[in-house]
Amino acid sequence: MPEPYTGPLERIDETRWRIPKSYKEGMRVDGIIYADDILIEAVKQDKSPDQVANVAHLPGIVKHSLAMPDIHWGYGFCIGGVAATDPKQGGVISPGGVGYDINCGVRLLSTNIRLEDAQPRMERLVETLFKTVPCGVGRGGIIKFGKKELRRLMTDGSPYVVNNGYGWDGDIEATEAGGCINDARPDFLSNRALERGFDQCGTLGSGNHFIEVQLIEHIDNPQAAKAMGLTEGNISVMIHSGSRGLGYQVCDDAIKELRNIPRKYGIDLPDKQLVCAPVESPEGQRYLGAMGAAANYAWANRQVLTHLTRQAFAEVFGQPSERLGMSLIYDVAHNIAKMEPYDVGGKQTELCVHRKGATRAFPPGHPELPDRYKSIGQPVLVPGDMGRSSYVLVGRPGAMEHTFGSCCHGAGRRLSRGAAIRAAKGRSIRRELLDRGVIAKARGRTGLDEEQPDAYKDVLQVVDVLHAADISHRVARLRPVGVIKG
Amino acid sequence: MMEPSYELFDHTADMGIRVRAASLPELLAPAGEGLYAVIGNVVAGEEAEPVAFDLTGRESAELLRDYLAELLILFERDHRVVTAVDPSVFTEDRLAATVQTGRLDAQRSALLREVKAITYHELDVRLIPGGYEATLIVDI
Repeated sequence: MPEPYTGPLERIDETRWRIPKSYKEGMRVDGIIYADDILIEAVKQDKSPDQVANVAHLPGIVKHSLAMPDIHWGYGFCIGGVAATDPKQGGVISPGGVGYDINCGVRLLSTNIRLEDAQPRMERLVETLFKTVPCGVGRGGIIKFGKKELRRLMTDGSPYVVNNGYGWDGDIEATEAGGCINDARPDFLSNRALERGFDQCGTLGSGNHFIEVQLIEHIDNPQAAKAMGLTEGNISVMIHSGSRGLGYQVCDDAIKELRNIPRKYGIDLPDKQLVCAPVESPEGQRYLGAMGAAANYAWANRQVLTHLTRQAFAEVFGQPSERLGMSLIYDVAHNIAKMEPYDVGGKQTELCVHRKGATRAFPPGHPELPDRYKSIGQPVLVPGDMGRSSYVLVGRPGAMEHTFGSCCHGAGRRLSRGAAIRAAKGRSIRRELLDRGVIAKARGRTGLDEEQPDAYKDVLQVVDVLHAADISHRVARLRPVGVIKG
Repeated sequence: MMEPSYELFDHTADMGIRVRAASLPELLAPAGEGLYAVIGNVVAGEEAEPVAFDLTGRESAELLRDYLAELLILFERDHRVVTAVDPSVFTEDRLAATVQTGRLDAQRSALLREVKAITYHELDVRLIPGGYEATLIVDI
């Protein structure tokens, strides 16, 4: 069992708690954790607040080291961590602030299919998705890319696969950053990363990755829901995956290459997993370029998964996916570092924003948003667990003011994998899900046990904290009805 | 004499491997077994192929992590599983070993989890009475 956190946590208001920079020598800013009275008790059960304090040591960090209410123990950064650094003030980039699964993220597809029309075919739909989408350990993709094609894919991101027939034109606009980081440098990747990636584009993976068929159960914000094409009673599809082995290897290579770099630049760190380099240094630029290539791979991966999902729906419902209304509502990254402008002391400043298990949440009017979302704000997709619900939110002005345009990315784990397996002993999680109206299929024997609903916090509690803090507002509640997992 | 052994332990979203052995070189075999135990029931075919590693670094904990990272690549990229380990050197700054590998027998294996990486989080090799204890956390 992890040791509980015993350091200071000062209440700021109903949704925020401060770790003062006096807590540890070397902290440059305060830590701030978003949580209510109930969630904060769970937060104290492990050392994740210490990780918030450790991140506050990073050179060039601006304002605060932040954690969203789905915070839990990670490596270097906690999961749910957000930190922005100013390159002009010696600000650093840290691979630990992005994570191994670079640009792990979520996308949501609409449909015009009513639940009552889908229900009789749900078992076949789940079976067909499971057959069509490669998932689980060691499953290669259907589409193989040669080295040259892989480099193009990592340069161009999801537009590359859309232009090769694996998507619709509208998919690109509905993807964060248009599915492409422009300064990506595939030439910075090791051969090993390329070898891990060549046959994995279009694969789901395992762990907490999934494809869920979800009922749009309740609309909180009709105007925003209408703009997104969310209709109560229809089904939608949520896809959660990332950059697969290629991204894991980019992170692993970077942490190894950067082992000695903090010493070179005179940076003292409290945790090896926080290795970093100044953003403007050759080493920092090298990681940013490689990370961008892996992020583009991840967007292409989710795009190919979208193509396969549309194929499965077309087969089961006997109609082209266009006629089933399977538009991409939005795609968000929740493990990434990006250069974004923010107001710092009244001056627009380009910052390096790390989001490690945190989602971008831009407010209405933000120039990066597609026209159809300009008046409502950016859609934010927050998966919960496979038994209860997930949420669609929109970004609010408070996100720009307080969290560098960021909010939560999920419910956050409550139980370790081992504890979840022990809690599942003598039970059939598949049967229990079926009793809740969810047809679930997983490749691994323990996959459903480890990812059972009780392993996660209640996502409603998490999103409510950010709703109250005006970081993001609820738009719709989605309830799972069919799930595939690796 | 301490028998080489491993145990898995909980980490919120991931898993930890604790390894014990009488000497540094003897940590290698149970560390590999621990990694495969995280992945599932991993069974190697009979066909054997040797693979040699010669890793350098600045501390034994990082070298042990690097060794497991090599095993992970062998597994994911080449579908090969280590069946025997012959360490020649494992000190603070060098790890050299030859391992025998067999091709993964997918029919007889039950793969449960994809290991993304061997992390540096809480990474440790320390002296304990009768030998060494290593702690590694893997990202799932």
